Amino acid sequence: MSERELGRKLDRCLADGVIKLGTGLGLGIVFSVLFFKRHTWPISLGSGAGLGMAYSNCQNDLRSHYLLHRNQKVGLDEETT
Amino acid sequence: MAAKLLPVVKLATKVGIAGGAVYVAYDSGLLGGSEQGSEALQKARAAVPPAIEEWMKYFGLQTQLPTIPNIEFSPVQAWNSGVRWSISRLSEAPTKAGEMTTQGVQYVRELLK
Repeated sequence: MSERELGRKLDRCLADGVIKLGTGLGLGIVFSVLFFKRHTWPISLGSGAGLGMAYSNCQNDLRSHYLLHRNQKVGLDEETT
Repeated sequence: MAAKLLPVVKLATKVGIAGGAVYVAYDSGLLGGSEQGSEALQKARAAVPPAIEEWMKYFGLQTQLPTIPNIEFSPVQAWNSGVRWSISRLSEAPTKAGEMTTQGVQYVRELLK
């Protein structure tokens, strides 16, 4: 992976982390106010889930460079047969 | 009859609001992959200044907002420049230490004269 590509992926990871944290926080606040009598734990749960989703996306994004993708495999199979 | 229906209506309203919030988040790509998330952030950043301007006009405040500086920060660039700086300082360290020792010895000699 080139440095430029790595930089772009890390920038995407940061942006995605911010978005998912905010979304989790927002949904946690909504659920806390509507169903859980303004307790804090749904907000923490939502923020944590959002961060976890962002981490997982980032992990997949960084690993995808080293994986053989399905369309490439089909191309290889066609070459060998 | 109405007393029995009211809690059901309240619950249905709450479920509707919560479900709507989750649907809006899903539909606007906030819960999708990295690319959708970063696109959503770009759209939000582009939409904030006009929205603030509209709200200011609505409330009758005509003050000029300071423009948000465009911060271009790349973690990779920052890390690499930090590594380069550290290694160049480390490579210069013996020479600098020798020079400073010589200067210190000269200073002490002059003091002792």
